[in-house]
Amino acid sequence: MKKQNLSQVGKSVVKVDGRELVTGKAKFSGDFKFPELLHGYACRSKIAAGYIKNIDISQALKIPGVVDVILPKDIPGNNLIGVLPPHDQPILADKEIRYAGESYCIAIATSVKAAKAGAKAVKTAIDPITPILTIDEALAKSARKIHPNGNITISKNLIKGDCEKAFAEADIVLEDTFETSNQEHAYMETEVVCAEPFGDGRVTVHASCQSPFHIRGHIAANLNVPASKVKVVQAYTGGSFGGKDDAATEIGSLAAIAAVKHGKPVMISHEREESIVGSTIRHASRIHYRIAAKKDGTITGKEIKILLDGGAYAAESPFVVMKALIHSAGPYKIDNVKVESTAIYTNKTYCGAFRGFGVPQVTFASESMMDELAKELKMDPLELRRKNALKPGELNATSQIFEESVGIIETIDKVIEINKSYQLPAKEPERYLYGTGFASMYQGISNGAEGIDVVGASVQAMQDGSALVSIGLTELGQGSRTVFAQIAAEVLGLTMDKVIVKHVDTDSVHDSGPTVASRSTTVGGMAVFKAAGEVKKSLLKMAALMFKTEENNIVLKDNFAQLVFDEKAKIPLKDVCVATYWTGFPLMNLSFSKAPEANYDHDNTQGNIYIAYNYGTHMMSIRIDKLTGAVKVLKHVAVHDAGKVVNPKAFEGQVEGASLTGLGLAHLEKIQYKDGVIINPNLSDYAVPTIKDRIPSETISVETYNPTGPYGVKGIGEPPVSGAASSFANAVANATGIRFKKLPITRQDILKAIKK
Amino acid sequence: MLIEFICNGKKINIDVPADMRVLDLIRDGLGLTGTKCGCSKGECGACTILVDGLPECSCLLLAPKLQGREITTIEALERPGGKLHPIQEAFLEEGAVQCGFCTPGMILSTKALLDVNPSPSVAEIEEGLSGNICRCTGYTKIVKAVQSSALKLQGAEI
Repeated sequence: MKKQNLSQVGKSVVKVDGRELVTGKAKFSGDFKFPELLHGYACRSKIAAGYIKNIDISQALKIPGVVDVILPKDIPGNNLIGVLPPHDQPILADKEIRYAGESYCIAIATSVKAAKAGAKAVKTAIDPITPILTIDEALAKSARKIHPNGNITISKNLIKGDCEKAFAEADIVLEDTFETSNQEHAYMETEVVCAEPFGDGRVTVHASCQSPFHIRGHIAANLNVPASKVKVVQAYTGGSFGGKDDAATEIGSLAAIAAVKHGKPVMISHEREESIVGSTIRHASRIHYRIAAKKDGTITGKEIKILLDGGAYAAESPFVVMKALIHSAGPYKIDNVKVESTAIYTNKTYCGAFRGFGVPQVTFASESMMDELAKELKMDPLELRRKNALKPGELNATSQIFEESVGIIETIDKVIEINKSYQLPAKEPERYLYGTGFASMYQGISNGAEGIDVVGASVQAMQDGSALVSIGLTELGQGSRTVFAQIAAEVLGLTMDKVIVKHVDTDSVHDSGPTVASRSTTVGGMAVFKAAGEVKKSLLKMAALMFKTEENNIVLKDNFAQLVFDEKAKIPLKDVCVATYWTGFPLMNLSFSKAPEANYDHDNTQGNIYIAYNYGTHMMSIRIDKLTGAVKVLKHVAVHDAGKVVNPKAFEGQVEGASLTGLGLAHLEKIQYKDGVIINPNLSDYAVPTIKDRIPSETISVETYNPTGPYGVKGIGEPPVSGAASSFANAVANATGIRFKKLPITRQDILKAIKK
Repeated sequence: MLIEFICNGKKINIDVPADMRVLDLIRDGLGLTGTKCGCSKGECGACTILVDGLPECSCLLLAPKLQGREITTIEALERPGGKLHPIQEAFLEEGAVQCGFCTPGMILSTKALLDVNPSPSVAEIEEGLSGNICRCTGYTKIVKAVQSSALKLQGAEI
């Protein structure tokens, strides 16, 4: 890592919005008060598939307080959600029900209670049809088509080298099939929006959301007005993890339609059950994995077939398919790779983005196979990983080469070192089983193959010596506002208290694309860095005039412009800002950061996809109670190469939080269906980890310098999910001697298996 | 029905429907929106308030039950002049806040715990906060914040 002399970047600082949050003053969407507020409550299908024959709203309209029931025909625009082609998802189901929980009309009333009563009074006739509930049912030759084009949402291939030859010539070939279950985001704040109509024909939507500009476009399309007629204001958002795109679009559009129709503000706030059944969840998967290797442990080929159960609609399946495809071979140098990644429609809740975005599923399969190969070769699992790990300058699975910032070997070495000095306890061996598991992973940073990646950000120096940063990427709890403030403070020589990062509203910040793909710090940070750099030029020019010297004799530091050779000679930056303004030098700049576009062969997915990768290796040691199957995590080490870390405390927070979500995926959380209906849509039957389930994560960063991010940064939001989930699975295998091939590996599963 | 209770040190006389939840009374009736609704079933703890010093899910409590009692919401913790309560300071400093939606409930459960047990063990912290779900942090920093709060409060008393 290159030495950098930094005063804000790299320092643990408190969240810039933390004070509002700990005092309860932060306004989330449901906290706003509006006069004459109306509320919406949707009617949802109780069955998984059927044809809507009739919807009778007459009784509903008689309920006191009910002012309207909005039906598909009342939607002025296209009645569509889908962020991506094939644009197959209606906001309100029109003729066909494709999953249990799908909404087909929404009651609007003067209170939540009345809206609920109204929704309940709607009489609906739905002719049930046999739902298609599994991948196999969907792919059966005689299967009913869930959508006109069939039951395959999308399928993509990755082909590198000659897999056939690699497998023919291999010393060892292993193969197996792995499965993962759906996972619910379970952010603590459900989806909430409030639309407010204005006299000028515009509508403002306050939303708990992740990507306000996406939502704006969809709301406008459903209102059948240009996007400029809609303003989306992101309220404080109580977690998202990928989940507040599609659902926020759905209810944002419905609230806006009702608000415009009635000339009154309309709030729609999902109940917990609606948040689970009626918004995206993580794709369930089935992955067939073949691996070819030489006796010395060199992996020569991987052949992988990924099937993602995406539920009733495409949503973000096309992108998740790509991400799974690209990452399935793992952070290794493998000359021959052949992957097919396919998303399937079934009559279940639709799947979309969830922290990790297809990578946790494929990493579980990949890293389970790595351990099986190590066992077969009688090799140390970490040595096997190290032997095959990517080095700078080598081709990854898409044949992309990074000359710098490929830190996978550093992460493995760190884990080797820690593992050497760690002794698994051996207490009460008659009662407990002990084991340690490892997993290596990587995750692309930036939109990459999923779209053009541009961020617009502006920085304005104000005459009181502070700076105002605006950017269209959203704070969801991950701490991005703080990171942007740190970068602006670093460039302009300000202390953190002098930087304000605006809340996002689509009227006052620039479109910055979606807040996804662990891209905020890298691509967003670069835009802030550039804009602040331009403002800095004005300040230096002014300070040079004031000091009667050259610009390169001046540094901006601790809220002062000071002479390089005499620290005592300094002018407060606020005075420099005032003078800059009166002299007519610009105090504000809008800059763009555009990631180099993905450039690859679309048939074989070969070429340059992402601007960087985060690399990681996790180690997890566990103790299993043979009597109950209960697992206790004794040690968890998460080593990541996330480039330069901007805010170490927040970095740890990201790793700790994502790792526990990974443990949830691997051990605790399971969406349960009966006849296509989710039977555990609440937080007691669906086991989100509590404080008693937390794991003792130790976060270690091996910093490499990433040239595509400011100060060498990359990103950390998503990667630890895969590392924690996969190292857990390997720890269970190590402790029990049994390879579990399906996530979650619950306590009951373990107990059942060890009793055999 | 007319009820009288104390909210954050202030006497409240208010006419409420018999079936009104305390959560709705404080958020809509009193305008104290720091208390959050996460599930309406007592499963997540986001709506935790203190009733006579003990943590309760305000979504499970009906307003008439407040008659003659004293409640504390997150709004009461910040001290006059904008000084944060030591627990709030600790949550902020330890990075125990990410999205912040669970935070008011988490802080009040912490207060209830530390009021009766000024230096809790890790197991006692786990027990005291087991009714509050956080999806962001992984809880490690929350445990640290509770420990740090305990030290701050002990220091403040000396």
